[in-house]
Amino acid sequence: MSEQTLFLIEKSIIVLAVFGGVMLVVALTTLVERRVAGFIQDRYGPNRVGPFGILQPAADGLKNFLKEETMPAAAAQPYFWLGPVISLAPALVTFAVVPFAAPLPIGGRVVEMIVADVPIGILYILALSSLGVYGVVMGGWASNNKYSFLGGLRASAQMVSYEVALGLAIVVVLLMAGNVTLTEMVWQQQQLNFWFAFPISLAFILFVISAFAETNRTPFDMPEAESELVAGFHTEYSGMKYAMYPMGEYAHLVTSSALMATLFFGGWDIPFWTGDDAFRYGDMWISGFAADGTPIEASLAWWKTFLTFGAFAAKTYFFVIFYIWVRWTIPRFRYDQIMQLGWKIMLPVALAYVMVVAGTILALDQLGVGYGFTFGLVLTVVSAICTGLFLLVLDRGRNLSGAHSKAQKRFASERKALTADSGD
Amino acid sequence: MPPTVKVMRRPEGVRTSFLRATLKGMALTFKHMVNPNKITVQYPEERMEITPRWRGTHRMETHADGRPKCVACGLCPTVCPSNCIRLVGGEDDQGNRYPIVYEIDEFRCIFCGMCQEVCPVEAIHVGVHYENAEYTRDRFVYDLDRLMEQDHPTSLLWDPSDPKSE
Amino acid sequence: MSDQQTPNTVTFTLDGQEVTVPKGTTILRAAESIGIKIPHYCFHPGLSSPAMCRLCLVEVEGWPRMAPSCKETAQDGMVVFTNSELAQKQRTGVLEFYLVNHPLDCPICDQSGECDLQDYVFEEGREHGRGREPKRVLGRDDFGGDVLFNGDRCVMCTRCVRFMREVAEDERLCVVERGNRAVIDTFFEEGLEGSPYAGNIIDICPVGALISKDFLHKARAWDLDRTPSVCPSCSQGCNITLQVRDDLVQRLKPRENLEVNGWWMCDFGRHNYEWMNRTDRTEVPMVRGQEVGWADALGDLLQALKDAKESVKAVTWAHAPNEEMGLLSGLLAELGGGEVVYRSPRTEGEVPLPGFPLLARREDLAPNVNGAEIFGFRRVGDNNSQGGLDELAGHDGVLIVVGDPIEDYGEDFGSKAELYVYLGSYQSKTASNAHFVLPITTFAEQEGTYTNVQGRVQRFWPGVRSPASARPGWLILGALVAELTGTEAPVSADQAFAKIAEKTSEFGGITYRDLGPRGAVAGKPAGVSGD
Repeated sequence: MSEQTLFLIEKSIIVLAVFGGVMLVVALTTLVERRVAGFIQDRYGPNRVGPFGILQPAADGLKNFLKEETMPAAAAQPYFWLGPVISLAPALVTFAVVPFAAPLPIGGRVVEMIVADVPIGILYILALSSLGVYGVVMGGWASNNKYSFLGGLRASAQMVSYEVALGLAIVVVLLMAGNVTLTEMVWQQQQLNFWFAFPISLAFILFVISAFAETNRTPFDMPEAESELVAGFHTEYSGMKYAMYPMGEYAHLVTSSALMATLFFGGWDIPFWTGDDAFRYGDMWISGFAADGTPIEASLAWWKTFLTFGAFAAKTYFFVIFYIWVRWTIPRFRYDQIMQLGWKIMLPVALAYVMVVAGTILALDQLGVGYGFTFGLVLTVVSAICTGLFLLVLDRGRNLSGAHSKAQKRFASERKALTADSGD
Repeated sequence: MPPTVKVMRRPEGVRTSFLRATLKGMALTFKHMVNPNKITVQYPEERMEITPRWRGTHRMETHADGRPKCVACGLCPTVCPSNCIRLVGGEDDQGNRYPIVYEIDEFRCIFCGMCQEVCPVEAIHVGVHYENAEYTRDRFVYDLDRLMEQDHPTSLLWDPSDPKSE
Repeated sequence: MSDQQTPNTVTFTLDGQEVTVPKGTTILRAAESIGIKIPHYCFHPGLSSPAMCRLCLVEVEGWPRMAPSCKETAQDGMVVFTNSELAQKQRTGVLEFYLVNHPLDCPICDQSGECDLQDYVFEEGREHGRGREPKRVLGRDDFGGDVLFNGDRCVMCTRCVRFMREVAEDERLCVVERGNRAVIDTFFEEGLEGSPYAGNIIDICPVGALISKDFLHKARAWDLDRTPSVCPSCSQGCNITLQVRDDLVQRLKPRENLEVNGWWMCDFGRHNYEWMNRTDRTEVPMVRGQEVGWADALGDLLQALKDAKESVKAVTWAHAPNEEMGLLSGLLAELGGGEVVYRSPRTEGEVPLPGFPLLARREDLAPNVNGAEIFGFRRVGDNNSQGGLDELAGHDGVLIVVGDPIEDYGEDFGSKAELYVYLGSYQSKTASNAHFVLPITTFAEQEGTYTNVQGRVQRFWPGVRSPASARPGWLILGALVAELTGTEAPVSADQAFAKIAEKTSEFGGITYRDLGPRGAVAGKPAGVSGD
């Protein structure tokens, strides 16, 4: 068999495995969401279909297939159909550039555990994940329903607002990694012996917040906003078309969790162990460089692949659970609060942080500190200071404030006015 | 652990730390997430105990020989505030007055229990029972046979140890 | 006491009130005249007073014992207490004795809801009985006719025995045995079968001892709507109450009218009510087979009547109220005159009630024969209200039928008529040729009057809802007459009667107001009857 045929077979298997895996995880996540929500509310959640309710997603899927689909009379039909598809597809495609395990040596070949290690990695992600919002906007507009429309409108505004901060957070990661492919980023984190979450902690925080907004998860679920907009953009959807929106949402959720794990938590890297480090360097797989700069060949093994895949899955699922945990804890923001947070805080902070990190890296380069432990430590300290300042600024109602503190401010000013009067 | 409502007062005069509040909230939900004591009653297997004063769908008591105890006196349709009882009295071959037609529309019924209270022969009772699902609406007009077939316990209407429900 | 007192009245004190009544009035009647009810069983205004129920005993100041108020006449200067502690205690005691043997089977008793014992015990009886002895059990006995006797419930007031003896003068009941074992019974197996007034003992029985087989278990007393009416079964015109449940007449009960029927009515009239519940009714106006609204139907009819050239003939029946007959006669006068014939069933011989000479089951078995005669209608047909309409059946002019379903003629009835108008309550094959079929209400569904055999005009009231869009006959005829004469159409039975009374000298200008609930003989003011 020619190299090309083997390559095709290998990639086909991986594509199918990744697609199936992601869909499976998405299905599972819908169940996990409901069960975790149940647990948080001292309930059991769905536990009837199959052991621990594991077949609940299958039952739901079947139900959604069999349900009648309604088409609003005044809907714009093509867009109404297209909405759910556009919402789901990009979330699945994004996963193509995420490496999910150490390379697998098999039959004298080394198979990379990634669908496509495209050289523009992160840009591809940015491009595609932004497409997701079109599905929401399209569905909201095509429904010809004022609530759906408002939902779509809010979605587009929110996406635009947080896309900026998200992008800037990624710029910081790029500064650290010096490359845009995700395999390179995992490698750099392995080399640094620091997960990026520490040296660029503020970027991580900004990324998490923006990711919440990008996936339309509570507390940023303005497009859906049941309490105000009935069901937001998908008010008019039913049956399988409706089901594709939640599927898209969960696919986004899983993908962005995987991105967080990859960008900030070392991807498939197993911490405190260099045995799993592997990176394609020219034609060889290396685990690092010796002091004199010669590459050290990596020792690949199938069990390492499985272990690293386990590490990746654990990290990803930790973030999934975190998403769910946050959703069932924190109530929805007000729309103006979201805009305020996006434009008045996230954007300037991200900009400033890019400058700070760039400056620090430049200074360290000038001082001759190489890419290594000290490099990471210095950045960690700088970032910790920035994070502390950021949280201090964000907190205590200085910039963001609830209705209560606004009322307090008003009372305070009224009281002041009154005392001033009585003083006269 | 019974569900209770915990009233949280807003702190007055001090600025709230949003961060701390958020983390406190997360900690609280986490505590509940890992709490093994769930309040869900796993219905078909477990059932909640219902009070003996529960007023559910009706039941007609019968004599030992299977005749309904009802003598068709007409007090229950008279007292029924929702007018859900239809009764046609008659006489059987032994000269006993009995209901030829006795129908209760359980959809119209408001389960006040006054039929049981007024019944002079303790024939009609509201039941301690809540599993009433049917496939068609017309199955909710219970006729005499249906009422006599019911075998769930009957309501006490009041708690003997606390007759004034104080 | 005072000097102004006329020799024919007495004045005494009753429960602290000064009462002046004619001499010879009993205390009980005197009390009733001022609105004080004294409980009683054996006393009935239409019967003698044996003073045996002991429930009406009242305390009289200075008397050694309590006096039976139904028997004791009021005397000057008496001071009577009906509600003193003693009187109440006495009643409570007597009621307890009644309940020694009464089974208290109210739930299955047809009298429940209109039972004197139930009412009295509820008001003044003991909360709990003290009896330990088993109750006497007699079971029930078929007395024949419509009467079923339940000896357990009997309180031995003997009203039924006295009715049969004094009013029906056909002594078929008596008290057998004595004391605790006393019971009402019939002689041998004869029972009450064939006694034409025996049904009245059911009405006067204060408890559920005598009950109607016909009404058995049909309805509870409190479910019945009661409407004053006039018995339509003969020309006596007994005052009755329609007792209706779910728009179905369940039974007829006599209504007191001392000028006509006293407190009684015959069994024939009592049981002749099933026809009031007939369901084969005409429901919507039909013009030449098409269902139309009332406005269109009446408009078309008016035009057709105006266009009609030929002579007019009309038929009605003796069940039609005065208003219908009068307006029909008025309509014919406007259409250039014509003959009205009527039919009425008739039997040979009256069935009098010996103890109340005013009352008898009359020969004419329809309520308004006298009214038809007043309006000058000609009687045709035989005693079964059959035949006699051959001339009309083939009439080629205008034919008007009011009320009479004419069930004895075939489908070709009125086939030659130029214009055939059928105003009827019931579907009939003789109406198949009618150009206009207008549904009218029955007497049970409308207001109106009948003229009885004495010439007494008596009102009846609607007790049953009419089906669909049926209208009273006088409303339809009144509208037609009004259109033809250019006057105001009557919109109430009151106005309809006023319209005919002004043209009919026999009514002597009486109005509904004069009639009151008990009617008035034409030309005389309303008789004040008893109480």
